[in-house]
Amino acid sequence: MPKPLRVLIWLVVAALGALSLATVALHRGEQINAMWLVVAAICTYAIGFRFYSKFIATKVLVLDGQRATPAERLENGRDFVPTNKWVVFGHHFAAIAGPGPLVGPVLAAQFGYLPGTLWILAGAVFGGCVQDFVILLFSVRRDGKSLTEMAREEVGRLGGLVAYMAVISIIVILLGVCALVVVNALKASPWGTFTIAMTIPIALLMGVYLRTLRPGKVLETSALGFVLVMLAIWGGQWVSQTPSLAAWFTLSASALAILIIIYGFAASALPVWLLLAPRDYLSTFVKLGTIALLALGIVALRPGLHMPPLTRFIDGTGPVFAGNVFPFAFITIACGAISGFHSLISSGTTPKLIRRETEARMVGYGAMMAESMVAIMAMIAACVLQPGIYFAINSPAGIVGQAPEAAAATISGWGFPITAAEMHSLAQSVGEQTLYNRTGGAPAFAVGMAHIFSNSLGGQALMAIWYHFAIMFEALFILTVLDAGTRVGRFMVQDALAHVWKPLGRTSWYPSVLSTSALIVGAWGYFLWQGVKDPLGGINSLWPLFGISNQLLAAVALCVATTIIIKMSKARYAAVTLLPLIWLVAITFTASWHKIFDPNPRIGFLSHASLLAASPGANARLIFNDRLDAVVTATLIVMIGLIVLESMVEWARVLSGRKQAKVKESPFVPTRFATEEQG
Amino acid sequence: MNGAGMDGAGINEVEMNRLHGKSMRGISLTAFEHTLTLLMAALREIFDEAAYARFLNRKQMTASRETYAAFCRECDGAKARRPRCC
Repeated sequence: MPKPLRVLIWLVVAALGALSLATVALHRGEQINAMWLVVAAICTYAIGFRFYSKFIATKVLVLDGQRATPAERLENGRDFVPTNKWVVFGHHFAAIAGPGPLVGPVLAAQFGYLPGTLWILAGAVFGGCVQDFVILLFSVRRDGKSLTEMAREEVGRLGGLVAYMAVISIIVILLGVCALVVVNALKASPWGTFTIAMTIPIALLMGVYLRTLRPGKVLETSALGFVLVMLAIWGGQWVSQTPSLAAWFTLSASALAILIIIYGFAASALPVWLLLAPRDYLSTFVKLGTIALLALGIVALRPGLHMPPLTRFIDGTGPVFAGNVFPFAFITIACGAISGFHSLISSGTTPKLIRRETEARMVGYGAMMAESMVAIMAMIAACVLQPGIYFAINSPAGIVGQAPEAAAATISGWGFPITAAEMHSLAQSVGEQTLYNRTGGAPAFAVGMAHIFSNSLGGQALMAIWYHFAIMFEALFILTVLDAGTRVGRFMVQDALAHVWKPLGRTSWYPSVLSTSALIVGAWGYFLWQGVKDPLGGINSLWPLFGISNQLLAAVALCVATTIIIKMSKARYAAVTLLPLIWLVAITFTASWHKIFDPNPRIGFLSHASLLAASPGANARLIFNDRLDAVVTATLIVMIGLIVLESMVEWARVLSGRKQAKVKESPFVPTRFATEEQG
Repeated sequence: MNGAGMDGAGINEVEMNRLHGKSMRGISLTAFEHTLTLLMAALREIFDEAAYARFLNRKQMTASRETYAAFCRECDGAKARRPRCC
């Protein structure tokens, strides 16, 4: 293509992006169409990928197409396998895309669509995509080493320890919060509970089918599992309409929490092939299909956004979670903008599959852009709802009251009119008894998704089916994270305990398997129980804690990346990772400070504990929970401080010449793929 | 291609050349076929079918219950340690 034409095309993309962003940011009064968000996002990602990621690739990382990757050098047909770029892209995206980018934007929509959307776009282009890309490339240049190994080698022993502690903390808090989202989505919902309960025998059946009837035919088995899940959704409607059966599946939050804890323990202790692997396949199958379907639905319907760009709750008085737009919008949306968890995937399986160094750009930077787009779709799904409906679903009973009339009056008083009759009608149309106080983000997302689907595919008659499809999709997603996360946590604890007593590290020794499973399940189960028993709606306290711990891991990854860039004698470009690091440190420190010390009891753990202690009939358990959350938050922040401090010492030593700038990369070996391509 | 004659997608050299847009026996793939092949390769990789194909190729075995059980035994440990993102 001639250069002037290329320049012209990019000018048009830039102008369209600027126009869309200006419309999204400056439009006031009447609602805007969701397509403005979609176009703004696509143009932003296109410009970010074409120019910013190319700058990083050529100037900062200096990707070398002649250098053999570990997939080529260490190829064993098992872990290290040179793989087509687009195949790795799909594999990497399937691994990084979880429930986080769906739930976070829905919760942050209480500030309006603008803060979350801008953070998703800017956070991804300048933070999340950069983190995933550089960590992937640095792992590729170190034989596919993990983030904790790189932190230990490049930053110091403390860095490795902090990274390990951060991973364990995130896993425990993440699993507790995720389980709470499922509990809030399924409580008093016989239809949803039946459908999700059925996914367990379906996964077991898939495991046996895959193992004995059609060995190795995973795609076929997953398609079969999907058909069975669809039948379970259809059957759920019948169950919910049959009083004797509905009673069996109408469960309280406490009962659901206990069942999920028992399930988590069983999933951790059962053989992988029986439950974990089939559920993982089923979840991935549903995930990829649903994300594609949601994108098509948004483009086909082109819905208007009823949520205003900014709501009155930017001042920190929001009912969904308390806290000002800064820093809490940036803590609430992690996975769609920047997620530390991604650095584990970027330094896990993916670097062992990359065929050419130059392909790390598309896989690392590009897959995160796709994940960010999923977050934009979640934001749209939340904002197509009438704000009154959104707040009625997402506000805890402790804020808006238990009675439908009282809740509707409170929400209408905020300037978002809603009536009890409208909410009753909506609940009936999706086959639920009530949609009030369904905190956690999942039900609101499901209603938004059902609204989009039913208006583009099938009409209002299918609203209930689409709603429960969305609930099933999210719960399946989350339970998969729960299965896998509990096991990963168990292995990490076993690895650590092996240093104390070797048999504890044996993954096939059942006393160790059972005790470490109980330890991990007990840890996240405690957070889940705490969330269920919190009268203000546990997601209010626990989601920010999850956001802080996830961003902490991103800070660790960016510390490692900045250290390596400085050691590569590229200090003049260190801002590429240093600026997102500074931003993350600023938001995590500010958020942590508020969560611990804020005098508003809805925000600060300690002030809430004091308030409870001062009230007659003080609940000692709730006071203890608040203080525990404060200690956990403080521990996380001390860990950030330590890793940043150790990194800064390392940077100072290298930049002042007291330490030789030397990175621990694998030696250069020329790739054979370059000559094959030339040939 | 690589030594095993297999790509990460568990597809052979001929297919990989097709993926890269090279003509085989003078026939070029259309963009649609190319996309479809790539999509299937990605799905086979995501769903571990490609890993099973590589396992069979590496062990010089054919697909059966026993070989799939052996494959599961080999990869279960790695699979259970693989984090899934939130």
